[in-house]
Amino acid sequence: MASTGLNSSVRAADASAARADIAIALASYNHARTIGPVVRAVRDGLATHFGSSAAQIVLADGGSTDGTREAARAATGATELVEVGYSAPIASLTTVPYHGFPGRANALRAILETIRRLSVRAVALVDAGIETADSTRIANLVAPILTDQFDYASSYYVRHRFDGLITKGIVAPLFRTLYGATLRQPAAGEFGCSARMADHFLQQDVWDREGAQAGIDLWLASEAVCGGFRVCEAALGVRGMVHHETTDLSTTLAQVVGSVFADMEHRVGVWQRVRQAVTVPLFGADERPEPEAAVPNVERLTESFRLGYRELREIWTWVLPPKTIIALRRLAEAPSDRFRFDDLLWASIVYDFALGYSLRLMPRDHLLRSLTPIYSGWMASIVPQIQDATEAQVDARLEQVCAAFDAEKRYLISRWRWPERLRR
Amino acid sequence: MDDMTGRGREKDPLWFKDAIVYELPVRAFFDSNGDGVGDFPGLTEKLDYLADLGVTCVWLLPFFPSPLRDDGYDIADHRNIHPSCGTLSDFKAFVRAAHERQIRVVIELVLNHTSDQHGWFQRARSAAPHSAEREYYVWSETEQRYADARILFLDIERSNWAWDPVAQAYYWHRFFHHQPDLNYDNPQVLQEMLQVIDSWMDAGVDGFRLDAVPYLIEREGTTCENLPETHGVLKAIRRHIETRGRGMLLAEANQWPADVRPYFGDGDECHMAFHFPLMPRIFMALHLEDRSPITEIMERTPDIPVTCQWALFLRNHDELTLEMVTDEERDYMHLAYSTDPRARLHLGIRRRLAPLVGNSRPRIELLNALLFSFPGTPILYYGDEIGMGDNVYLGDRAGVRTPMQWTGDRNAGFSRADPERLYSPVIMDPVYGFQAVNVESQEDDSASLLHWMKNIIRLRKFFSVFGRGSIDFLQPANCKVLAYLRRIEDDVILCVANLSRTVQPVELDLSAFAGLTPVEMLGYTEFPIIGAAPYFLTLGPYGFYWFELQRSRG
Repeated sequence: MASTGLNSSVRAADASAARADIAIALASYNHARTIGPVVRAVRDGLATHFGSSAAQIVLADGGSTDGTREAARAATGATELVEVGYSAPIASLTTVPYHGFPGRANALRAILETIRRLSVRAVALVDAGIETADSTRIANLVAPILTDQFDYASSYYVRHRFDGLITKGIVAPLFRTLYGATLRQPAAGEFGCSARMADHFLQQDVWDREGAQAGIDLWLASEAVCGGFRVCEAALGVRGMVHHETTDLSTTLAQVVGSVFADMEHRVGVWQRVRQAVTVPLFGADERPEPEAAVPNVERLTESFRLGYRELREIWTWVLPPKTIIALRRLAEAPSDRFRFDDLLWASIVYDFALGYSLRLMPRDHLLRSLTPIYSGWMASIVPQIQDATEAQVDARLEQVCAAFDAEKRYLISRWRWPERLRR
Repeated sequence: MDDMTGRGREKDPLWFKDAIVYELPVRAFFDSNGDGVGDFPGLTEKLDYLADLGVTCVWLLPFFPSPLRDDGYDIADHRNIHPSCGTLSDFKAFVRAAHERQIRVVIELVLNHTSDQHGWFQRARSAAPHSAEREYYVWSETEQRYADARILFLDIERSNWAWDPVAQAYYWHRFFHHQPDLNYDNPQVLQEMLQVIDSWMDAGVDGFRLDAVPYLIEREGTTCENLPETHGVLKAIRRHIETRGRGMLLAEANQWPADVRPYFGDGDECHMAFHFPLMPRIFMALHLEDRSPITEIMERTPDIPVTCQWALFLRNHDELTLEMVTDEERDYMHLAYSTDPRARLHLGIRRRLAPLVGNSRPRIELLNALLFSFPGTPILYYGDEIGMGDNVYLGDRAGVRTPMQWTGDRNAGFSRADPERLYSPVIMDPVYGFQAVNVESQEDDSASLLHWMKNIIRLRKFFSVFGRGSIDFLQPANCKVLAYLRRIEDDVILCVANLSRTVQPVELDLSAFAGLTPVEMLGYTEFPIIGAAPYFLTLGPYGFYWFELQRSRG
């Protein structure tokens, strides 16, 4: 059940709290090891960058059993800590979303409701599980809101070129083409927002929607963009997260891509009208070196694709037109040294899956998971292309992927408006 | 901004403007218990079919206890379910299941009359003259009162009065003699009806189709139609449902548009009303291959309050009514569409859509394209989405109320009962019979009418301009072509339809939109940019285009 945020501690805080300009909100769940440093970094950031502004820290804990709340209280010091209660849906406890945070939508809703009562001007939502917390991050999330009148600051992390390829190859290109804003990590999780943005979020019907616990971050970002609010990116450096029990690629892909597809369904009126993307400004310097990451095993990815072609081709024919199936066959038969996934083909496949998801041509989870081998094939193609490239070359290559999504948008719209039944 | 998906419409009080309504008789849809009659559990089983079709609102024909002498419009108990259709709990389960699929439920509210078997009438006829119970109905000692009121079913009834031997008095009936009119001069009658409304809204109902609303009140020296007091009753009902915070009223007033206009009031009476005269004129224009019947009736259609909406349909459970046409137009329609005299009933034509247009797929598509792009809410009649036929050999309007054709199996997959137990025989002729026309086979055929209907409904739902925008007709020289603009805010949609059986050229004056690009909506295909010169198009037989007029990419 969703929390209203109206627990006793909040009421007590409401009664005593002076009006604050800034609230830093932390959503936590068994983050005892990291939350102390995070809270201290928040305090430092507030003191260093917003010394004259009144600030509060809001903690929404999902029922941690490892002493997270106690650790947060111990680290708070003089800054007032407002604790918010909420409950995670049972389903999200049994199937933890890819971000490792059960009941995330409920937590964010409880936080925003509390923020509204506290009448702050700017709020930053910060991960309690981050291991690289520092005061600059807080500044970059809050300053655009407080001083530059932006309504929403989307986090932008420095990531290794092989890290976050689902975002780079699917989420970001889709988001940009659909909604017309070049947010590179729209589902990253940390964000800053204004009071009116928070109000707007609370008025939306996204909170109890199916898939909200996994998709809420992306949905809020798209709501900010589609609602016509002023949006920017905030450079947050390297994101060092405590690793939760990792979900497999197929599950992650299904949750992340499913979130985008679900959002597409709800915003047809917007994305079918968007003709071109606007570049979103970036706040903060992006100076850190590329973090470490393992190089994906291209041979294994290629084999995964080939196996998928053999095993799942029948399923794909429900959503992919014959010419795409033929193109995939050619790819499956191509020798490894000539294994190249055409960008337009990739974009059209993602679009066809989005349509298949919308039309419910098969159980949605099955459909989404069946994308995994094709995604592996795309990775197997892109990884060698960017492995030894300069950063600028990597950016240019990813831009080409985005351009392909732009180019194929007409294909998406035409198929969406008048779907062709491929199978019976 | 157009929403295209229905997001947020769950709470929108004007939801009906964007609705796709599907009209069905419960007993004809699906029989779950094998007794030969469709029922609510059966309908609930088929809700996924309706959701997949794109329907957002189901309008149920009467399902109340009734002697069934007027297909259920002769209600014997307003608050219950006919046993053959199930139970109240079946109904509530159906409503819940419909709502889970974002499908709203509209039911019939027969305000004007009841069955003579209704408890109110049985009580009234035995009650003392002028007592409160007697005054639930309209009584007279003579047949001479309200002599200026026309007799609606002239071919069946000789008077609007009928003698009741128990009451030893005449009772008033505008329809069949077994349907006595309620007396809305008695405040208790309205209170009873408000309680009826409450009971169904408590069960989850989202709206009511108000049957035969022009006839609620009688006054000497008038036609007893459309009286101010009748509007007073309707406004009282509207006020009542407003207190519930939801609910929609759809008026059935088979009148000229100007006469229907008062039923919207100032947005304080009915939310919707049927546009009856449009439907025959669409068919007439198609047969004449001339747009003028359509444009003329649309010109005669007054503006309505922004919170109100016309309900549009091609066919429904009644005959294709020809009351709202001239005698000459009626003769034309009979010659064009019902040369078989068995197809005629009262003043109309009792045929379904597909047989009316000679089972021509292009004509069916064109008519639906008009239905879905005209200003109003489209109402589909069950079975027309697969091109079901009718049976003119069945009496009255039973020929267009035959069992839904689900499969090519026994009883069209409608029921497991022995065929002779069915409430009505299924259609079995070689063209429209269930073995040729059924849902299952059309689901399997990607080129079927059913799939085409799903797509056109899906497309229509993407654009709220169709349900909420204005309409302006263009006047191209070629009268076989109907062209009109639908507009809302910055959205402009150009609709062009060829009403003829041959290829037609047309030049459209689109100079006001010079610089915009027409993008054909079905295929998202860009056409040449509009300039100052007339815009030239060619349309295939019965062809139609819907264009978005888009600004060029800048």
